[in-house]
Amino acid sequence: MEAKVLDSWVLAEFATPEALVSATQQMREKGFQGMDTYSPYPLHGGSEALGLPPSRMPFIALGGGLTGMVTALTMQTWMNTIDYPLNVGGRPLLSLPAWVPITFELSVLFAAFGIFFGLLGLSKLPQPYHPAFESEEFRSASTHGYWLSIPHPTGTDAADVKNQLTALGATHVTMVSGENE
Amino acid sequence: MAETAHLPLDPLEPRDLVAPHHDDKSLNETLLDHVWRKPGKGWFMLLGITSAALGLLVVGVTYTLARGIGVWGNNQPVGWAFDIINFVWWVGIGHAGTLISAILLLFQQKWRTSINRFAEAMTLFAVMCAGLFPLLHTGRPWFAFWLFPYPSTLGAWAQFRSPLVWDVFAISTYLTVSALFWYVGLIPDLAALRDSSKGKLQRTIYGLFALGWRGSGRHWHNYKIGYLLLAGLSTPLVVSVHTIVSFDFAVSQIPGWHATIFPPYFVAGAVFSGFAMVITLIVPARKYLGLRDVITDRHLENMNKVILATGLLVSYGYLMEHFIAWYSMNQYEFWTFYVNRATGPYAGVYWLMITCNVVTPNIFWFKKARTSIPIMWVASIAVNIGMWCERFIIIVTSLSQDFLPSSWDIYTPTWVDWCIYIGTLGLFGTLFLLFLKFVPAVAVSEVKELQLELKHAAHAAHGHGADTAGAGSLTHGAH
Repeated sequence: MEAKVLDSWVLAEFATPEALVSATQQMREKGFQGMDTYSPYPLHGGSEALGLPPSRMPFIALGGGLTGMVTALTMQTWMNTIDYPLNVGGRPLLSLPAWVPITFELSVLFAAFGIFFGLLGLSKLPQPYHPAFESEEFRSASTHGYWLSIPHPTGTDAADVKNQLTALGATHVTMVSGENE
Repeated sequence: MAETAHLPLDPLEPRDLVAPHHDDKSLNETLLDHVWRKPGKGWFMLLGITSAALGLLVVGVTYTLARGIGVWGNNQPVGWAFDIINFVWWVGIGHAGTLISAILLLFQQKWRTSINRFAEAMTLFAVMCAGLFPLLHTGRPWFAFWLFPYPSTLGAWAQFRSPLVWDVFAISTYLTVSALFWYVGLIPDLAALRDSSKGKLQRTIYGLFALGWRGSGRHWHNYKIGYLLLAGLSTPLVVSVHTIVSFDFAVSQIPGWHATIFPPYFVAGAVFSGFAMVITLIVPARKYLGLRDVITDRHLENMNKVILATGLLVSYGYLMEHFIAWYSMNQYEFWTFYVNRATGPYAGVYWLMITCNVVTPNIFWFKKARTSIPIMWVASIAVNIGMWCERFIIIVTSLSQDFLPSSWDIYTPTWVDWCIYIGTLGLFGTLFLLFLKFVPAVAVSEVKELQLELKHAAHAAHGHGADTAGAGSLTHGAH
């Protein structure tokens, strides 16, 4: 077991998604790092406000799809042409046109698994516990609340960050601390 | 529960995609309400009916397993009958779900958000029912794993040139991808359920399934693209699955089966019956779940338009089959299409199919029919019956009387066939009722996003002084 690192975050709730996006933008311009937004649905311009790089999902999906394709082609060719050749009505042992349906299906299947597990992996889910859940108000994040979290290094003044957020229109500012991810 | 009293209730009046008086909080209450509410008498009554039907499935399957598939009506030459008819029918019903969620998402049709969750659940349950039939038809379902390539001590591999093995891959892929797609779409709503739950138990269970989702911007960033990609994958998948199902027939030589029109014609038929099933289920559900604010008359009308379009495609398929039978002057084909199907022992089913599939959808040319709840509900049931008849006609008429009169025989389903068929309807209904009870029937987070977009659109239009998209027509994307 590694030593538990306690960390704290300043959480601020905003009244509208627009207010949250513009506050995120401004806090990032002030130099705050590692911020995150929380909202019941994707924010328009949210990724840009957080300054996130383009998602790697398409590459993961492509990788999955290609893996599926190669797997299917190799499997069918090896099984029906080499390891267990079946002569059906004199058809060629390497019947590529007949391999098409299964190749397609497995490409889709592997790509879908790639997307699903890729999504979980990139988002570090499942993660049933997160310090943010310590705050009862934060439960609105999945229903009707728009939140911003700013990691707060220990030993510095949290009140200053809180004031800045309030100045940007936060309706509710709170602080949570807990085990780091 | 939000009411729609102040909205125009005239069915001829086009209605909004989402009733405009909602904000995030009230949408939440409306859409999650049916999960938290105690189920009413109606729900229990329906559950009783569907569970009774499910009991028939248990009886039918148990009897089949104990005695072998000889207890079915299948005979020589009709080796495929009810089992494959129902399989194709159920898979077809499943297709509307993926179509609604995937294709409409790719085309950015905003009206899909309210119905996709519902339709995807339908897909999952329909494919589960479908899968039962070929499984039982193998006769020894405990050996069903033989269909998959696995390192067997027999040293034999599956035959990948066989459409039946393609089927196994197509259906299992379809079920898996649909389940992933459905679940990924559900995660934010499960989080919403977790966070609005009142008891600890509910919170724990929904929390477990929500995987700790907290609406993080960094998660949404990947989620949006991942979900879109899954939709992109599902779209060709739908087409491929029913194409492969049609290959089961089209690759053979039986008159009435080996038609090149089969793949597109089967896909159109699948969408046709699937959308009809959505109408059949959504009309009562939106009433009793109080979802009229998000599943508006506009949605129903659009779905009826899809039914009309695919109904015409199916009619074209029939026409083409008959044309090719005449044009080729193949006497077996000619006899199958012009004599046997229309006047033979199954002529009643044939004419019922023509009435339900060719005549019925044409009432949707009229706006009055497209927007009338009773008419569309009856028509949708007729379409479901018609599509079942179509599968019966394709499979049974072709097999029972093919080339040689000496090998002809009449097929009659037995009580076990009926038990299993009605039983799958029960299984479907039971799963569906449980779904309606425990999971939001409408994709809540997507509707909220849509609501915001619509507000922006209306606002922007007002700002520019344009009166084309005022508050009264928050329906962009629905045309």
